[in-house]
Amino acid sequence: MRRYETISIIKPALGDEEIGAINQRSISIIEGDGGTILNTDKWGLKTLAYPIKKEQQGYYVYMDFGATPAAVTEMERQFKIDDRILKFMTVKLDDVFDPAAIQAQADAKAKAAEARAQKRRDDDNDSDNDSED
Amino acid sequence: MKKKKIFHRRKVCRFCVDQDMVIDYKDVRVLKGSLTERGKIIPRRIYGTCAKHQRQLTDAIKRARQIALLPYAGPYIGPY
Repeated sequence: MRRYETISIIKPALGDEEIGAINQRSISIIEGDGGTILNTDKWGLKTLAYPIKKEQQGYYVYMDFGATPAAVTEMERQFKIDDRILKFMTVKLDDVFDPAAIQAQADAKAKAAEARAQKRRDDDNDSDNDSED
Repeated sequence: MKKKKIFHRRKVCRFCVDQDMVIDYKDVRVLKGSLTERGKIIPRRIYGTCAKHQRQLTDAIKRARQIALLPYAGPYIGPY
């Protein structure tokens, strides 16, 4: 199991139901092979930086998941066949997929950011004191 | 004796200074600051980005281009 994230751009002219059905299909491919979906996010309609298949806009869908490489190739094969999908990209985030470790990492990151913010506040206070002296 | 004296201002990598600024190909707002108007990547001798962060930056920009978040060349103006 590896951790991946996929962004797919779907044709803008489709209805919500059809977009939902496309997402559902990719989710079922991943989960059918023992994978887990961490997060799906519909970014919605965005203007493309360059036209793809004569379309100026696209419906972006983001997905963060853990899956086997076979499930990802199968999902991408389906994307290639489906001409409603303008473009897609899968990025491997990690070689091992461990939900507990991901949670721990996120917590550590939040803590570090908080510590930095705290330090900045302290530094500001220090400089204030210096000027008063 | 040298006639001309060139003064250099020490440039500091902005990603090293601000640790909260994370380079991610999905975060177009951060990446746009390192592109010219034409969509070219600005070399690191201009902004003084450190080697490590410039590398991450180029990788992120290239990924963002693949998924049409950033242009390969210039803002698209349209077919007249």
